[in-house]
Amino acid sequence: MKDHPDIPPEWLAEFEAAARRPLEQRMKYAFIHTYKPVLDDEPFRAFDTMEQYRRWCEDNLPSWLGYGRV
Amino acid sequence: MAAFEYRQAQEVRDALARHGVRYLFIGKTGAILLGFPDTTQDADLYIKKDPANAGLLIHALRELGFELTDAQAQDIERGKDFVQLKQGPFDLDLIFAPDGIEHFEEAWRRHIDVDGFPVCHPDDIIASKIAAGRAKDRDSLPRLQAFRDYWLQKTKLTP
Repeated sequence: MKDHPDIPPEWLAEFEAAARRPLEQRMKYAFIHTYKPVLDDEPFRAFDTMEQYRRWCEDNLPSWLGYGRV
Repeated sequence: MAAFEYRQAQEVRDALARHGVRYLFIGKTGAILLGFPDTTQDADLYIKKDPANAGLLIHALRELGFELTDAQAQDIERGKDFVQLKQGPFDLDLIFAPDGIEHFEEAWRRHIDVDGFPVCHPDDIIASKIAAGRAKDRDSLPRLQAFRDYWLQKTKLTP
């Protein structure tokens, strides 16, 4: 803990615990899949620019998904 | 659609390596590979924006089971900044011009190798999330920044 005085102890404990797990196990815990309305409804989307993508997210996705800019 | 698995990450790594694609894992996917304990839904790849590299990527994606139409392949090859694939064995975001990172080569110079997975440096992952300015990243950024500090210290101590 003394090496990381600025990191909240509960976060540090989580980082230390993750560091002890093998990569395969870390990934097993990390990737989840839940349906995201609109976003998951098309098999393919391509945007010329990131700005277009960000704007599309703001205009089309439910705000609670969190893809809008703050 | 099932969640992205370690085995699939290995398949991505191996297929892209076989075809010589230049790319990096980025976003929360990259952070998780570095050891960040958190959850995410899809895999994010930062692909070097270059027609030849995109051509190699298309071969690799088809080999992985992504059923790209010719029009979709052309979209990827023509140099879009962002492509979202949801018609394959797992969801994949292809990012050719991530917010907050100027050049692929700069990110490549700083990248970390994790068991053969090329991963963006945590500073680049954080820079891209800050520049994107999304609500969903706002709450998780302080924890990711704390992880970066932890990771830097740990890396310094490990020969």
